[in-house]
Amino acid sequence: MQWFDGLVQGVLLGGLYAQYALGMALMFGVMRIVNVTHGDLMILLALVGISMAARFGLGPWSVLVILVALGAAIGLVLQRVILNRVVGSDPLPSLIATFGLSIALQNAMLEIWSADTRSLDGGAIAQASFQVGPMFVGVLPVIVLVTATVLTGGLDTAVRYTRFGRALRAAAADVDAAAMTGINPKSVYAAATAIAVAILGFAAVFQSVRATVSPADGPFQLIYAFEAVIIGGMGSIWGAFLGAMVLGVSQSVGFRINPGFGVLAGHLVFLIVLAVRPQGILGKE
Amino acid sequence: MVKEASIGAPLDVSEPAPRVQRQTLSGMIAMGISLCVLVVISSMPWWADQGLIRSVVEISCYVAVAQMWNLLAGYSGLVSVGQQAFIGVAAYAMFVLAQLWGLNPFLAVLLCLVAPAVLAVPTYGLLHRLDGPYFAIGTWVVAEVMRLATSTFGYVNAGAGMSLRVMTSYSAEQRAIGVSLLTALMLLVTVGGSFLLLRSRYGLALVALRDSPVAAASQGVNVGRMRFLVWISAAIGTGFAGAIYFMAHLRITPPAAYDPKWANVAIFIVMVGGLGSLEGVLIGTLIYFFADRWFGQFGAAYLVVLGLLTLFMALFARGGVWGLICRVVDAPWFPTRRKLLEDQP
Repeated sequence: MQWFDGLVQGVLLGGLYAQYALGMALMFGVMRIVNVTHGDLMILLALVGISMAARFGLGPWSVLVILVALGAAIGLVLQRVILNRVVGSDPLPSLIATFGLSIALQNAMLEIWSADTRSLDGGAIAQASFQVGPMFVGVLPVIVLVTATVLTGGLDTAVRYTRFGRALRAAAADVDAAAMTGINPKSVYAAATAIAVAILGFAAVFQSVRATVSPADGPFQLIYAFEAVIIGGMGSIWGAFLGAMVLGVSQSVGFRINPGFGVLAGHLVFLIVLAVRPQGILGKE
Repeated sequence: MVKEASIGAPLDVSEPAPRVQRQTLSGMIAMGISLCVLVVISSMPWWADQGLIRSVVEISCYVAVAQMWNLLAGYSGLVSVGQQAFIGVAAYAMFVLAQLWGLNPFLAVLLCLVAPAVLAVPTYGLLHRLDGPYFAIGTWVVAEVMRLATSTFGYVNAGAGMSLRVMTSYSAEQRAIGVSLLTALMLLVTVGGSFLLLRSRYGLALVALRDSPVAAASQGVNVGRMRFLVWISAAIGTGFAGAIYFMAHLRITPPAAYDPKWANVAIFIVMVGGLGSLEGVLIGTLIYFFADRWFGQFGAAYLVVLGLLTLFMALFARGGVWGLICRVVDAPWFPTRRKLLEDQP
């Protein structure tokens, strides 16, 4: 029973990780760059949301709307000002640029919000739970999982069937050829980054209602997102979702074996996947 | 026709061996200064106070770690943000050898280098499947795994860390002599070794690899093997710095040993000093060290500036400070180029 509970909690935790991983999968799939500030941006959005909720007395749902919009705006600016200059075949400049920005962001947040852990008051919903057989399942984690599933489905459909999705896939396959057929790669890149950071707006609200955030948490969220993308298979949207589930279950089960082993178990599963199936669960050979 | 000509040419004309200039005046001066610096560092116990020795050891460790990162990122295209894995594993191995197994600690600093080499093999085996930036974050995961695993490993006192109590059996002077000599040796191996490597045929292969892995492979460079060898060497060099650093500190804990700060420092030094040059590492280290001393008191605000400076360098000045200097004067300290001299008739 304890293990089944671990499995259920792990899937619910995976819902949160999926929200981190989707944006990363999208950005890597299109631009072949890893944005090292991915986790820090999520923390930044969360801290802004917490401060706004405290200042203006907003509920979690209004904060969510604001953060998603703010995330999209940050994504656009990030793309225009920094990423467009470093996107290219050489991965070093983009990695170093976002790495430097990540250090700057973390310490700027430390300066503004101090190292305290904070959380967002989610009202009654944060504690509500319902009973399934002998188990109690939280309402909030289920909302998180459903949101993650809807976001994944929506993003996957958008990439497959819309005009924007076709432009995105064309740019990912060959930027120059895509530009010849009338696609503007810079706007495609900007849209991809805006969507990726906007999704972090969801993650920011759920993370800060569910648990706590502090300025130094970003790198850990980055690593979880990264592991989910690799476990699931690079370039696949549903793969990132599945990878997040695997990671969530590994951590949750590991935590039940020994509280010090939870996060480590996730890392170890990642390394095992890398050893036996480097292309990921849904990746093609 | 073409075939005949190419075979015939060496027979008909006895070509003089091409004359190649390898050394420059600036290079010879810098070589002399470097040797003096090594002698000065080795002789520190006889004239310097504890504080100065500590600072010099710290600077030297930064030089070594940054130079190893430079070899990876600047030449072989392997960007790592998890070099602290090798720092920590070597330092812990040294503490185990010296404190738990009772070996001579100065000997342990050399013997413990087996540990980063052993860790580097499976790490490369797993991570080389990842591409560019993903490789980098993969190295970070490995460092995190090492930190978490060490924190739960009771044999090395888990999260509470260890103290190098065996050092109390040596006098302060003996300790200073040991640390200074090891530091000089570390600089000789990491900087001097890199210099020799870059001047050798492997250096040519590395430069080719830096410019284009595909083209290098087509010229007969075994890209995978080169990268593997550089990865192992960099792990050992980084571990050497870690072992000396924590020997000087006498105390180790998992968060300190596997501190991501090491990767930040290496990246900052190399990016600001100049990627892909030995001179850049030395310039970058001096900038970092004095910036840290003077502005470190401003804490987070100072680190914001450091991060933004790294970002700025990556966006606008990829060659770093050394790249800017090179535009003005051509006087390499460590010449690794081969300059073909035209024969004057």
